[in-house]
Amino acid sequence: MSRPTVTIHGADGAAGKESYALPNVFKAPIRSDIVQHVHTGMAKNKRQPYAVSEKAGHQTSAESWGTGRAVARIPRVSGGGTHRAGQAAFGNQCRSGRMFAPTKVWRKWHQKINLNQKRFATASAIAASSSAALLLARGHHVSTVPEVPLVVSSTAFSNGALKKTSAAVALLKAVGAGPDLEKVKDSRKLRAGKGKLRNRRHQQRRGPLVVYEPEKDGKDLVTAFRNIPGVETSPVYALNLLQLAPGGHLGRFIVWTSAAFAALDTIYGSTTEASELKRDYLLPSNILAQPDLTKLINSSEVQSVLRPVKGGAVTKRSHVQKKNPLKNKQVLLRLNPYAAAYSKNGLGHVKAEQKPAKLDGTFSSTLFDN
Amino acid sequence: MATSIENLSSDLIWEVTRNQNAFLVKRKQSGGIQLSRDPLNLVNKHSRKYAGYANEKAIGIHADDNTISFVTKVASKTNKPASVHHKTSFAASTPSRKVYRNVVSSTAKKGYRADLRAEAVARASAIKRSQRDVKDTKRVTKLRGAKAKKAAAESS
Repeated sequence: MSRPTVTIHGADGAAGKESYALPNVFKAPIRSDIVQHVHTGMAKNKRQPYAVSEKAGHQTSAESWGTGRAVARIPRVSGGGTHRAGQAAFGNQCRSGRMFAPTKVWRKWHQKINLNQKRFATASAIAASSSAALLLARGHHVSTVPEVPLVVSSTAFSNGALKKTSAAVALLKAVGAGPDLEKVKDSRKLRAGKGKLRNRRHQQRRGPLVVYEPEKDGKDLVTAFRNIPGVETSPVYALNLLQLAPGGHLGRFIVWTSAAFAALDTIYGSTTEASELKRDYLLPSNILAQPDLTKLINSSEVQSVLRPVKGGAVTKRSHVQKKNPLKNKQVLLRLNPYAAAYSKNGLGHVKAEQKPAKLDGTFSSTLFDN
Repeated sequence: MATSIENLSSDLIWEVTRNQNAFLVKRKQSGGIQLSRDPLNLVNKHSRKYAGYANEKAIGIHADDNTISFVTKVASKTNKPASVHHKTSFAASTPSRKVYRNVVSSTAKKGYRADLRAEAVARASAIKRSQRDVKDTKRVTKLRGAKAKKAAAESS
């Protein structure tokens, strides 16, 4: 089977004449469970330790009064001359006591994730980014994008061709990413809660991810794209699952430069040939060769081994409402086939041909004969 | 799948997105009803059959100013979002029965999502009904009493 191809678009958004065969990563199995699991682990690896003070709630010389004083046996602050004396201390239920199970800096902050699993998740997320349906379901506004995956010719980036943010915005708009940028801009909101005070003041959606090849495309584009809200850049050799599947949800909108797109096969290899850059790495293969259930069910292989349908085309219905034959003609005909001819000939309206003979009076006279 | 990528199908897309997606509206009321904001969803219900983004073929019907816009998906252009939609529009003066006939003959009768025939007609009908001019139903009541008559005369 020939591999599907992807058109390379120019900086003006017009489809070019060149096209690439779809790299093998895009055929990797799409496994949202693996992506979610790896994402939860990876999201934990940037955390900084925090804990309450070791001394908090224990900076008093309290001791229990024991029994017999008609108060609870909780440790109480000793001494007198101040309101604090005699108040309960230490316990997590006490005012100015320590918290329950004080947090420690030696909590397990980071997660080890198996390398092969991480690579599986990355390949899966890249494959998912080639489905317009998944992009839409993630919330990207891609209805103006000419093609997914979207590849833009590297001539638009290389040799410092793209240095200014205005040019970067113009390029994104030309390739149909304009609505997605608008969505990000409109989504900027003040964060709810304490995060506002902790350098996470605003929340906003994610826009397109621009993936480039640092050697061929240069790094000027990083500064050009840096200040556009929601747009992120990533070198193709260091793709990060946190960017490819934000929140563990598949289907990030990715703008590939053609050099980066061409590099994908050397980075990930295929299911049979090891990658050039990752030692002995083979892409995971699909368990199902045909993921379309309807096609599977209707395939001749399945249909040929099924037994024929029982009972024919018409099945007897049970528990149906009884129909009134006096009002429902079809039910009447089922009960009385003659009814058709009867009504067609108008037999209900025909007058009797001869009137019954009049009684001659013998009947009543006999009846009342005394 | 028209993209002919062997790892993608509408069944898989649905399984990946059925728990969460951008169109899904989960309500706590009414027994946790699940609705959809998908423009190609004819009944706004979150389900495999009506999910417009997941299915290769889908129908969308919308009120558009005073007209009805009618969108279908071109199955062969699944990975070309800008050209995937086939759009038509019905003028406000088109009689409703003609709208239904056109909707059905361009979809269900051609074997394009025949399972959505009733839903498409129902949605077109509801939009048509909503665009009808509202009759002035205010009833003129007979004024009772001298005061009321005087007030009415002054205000007019």
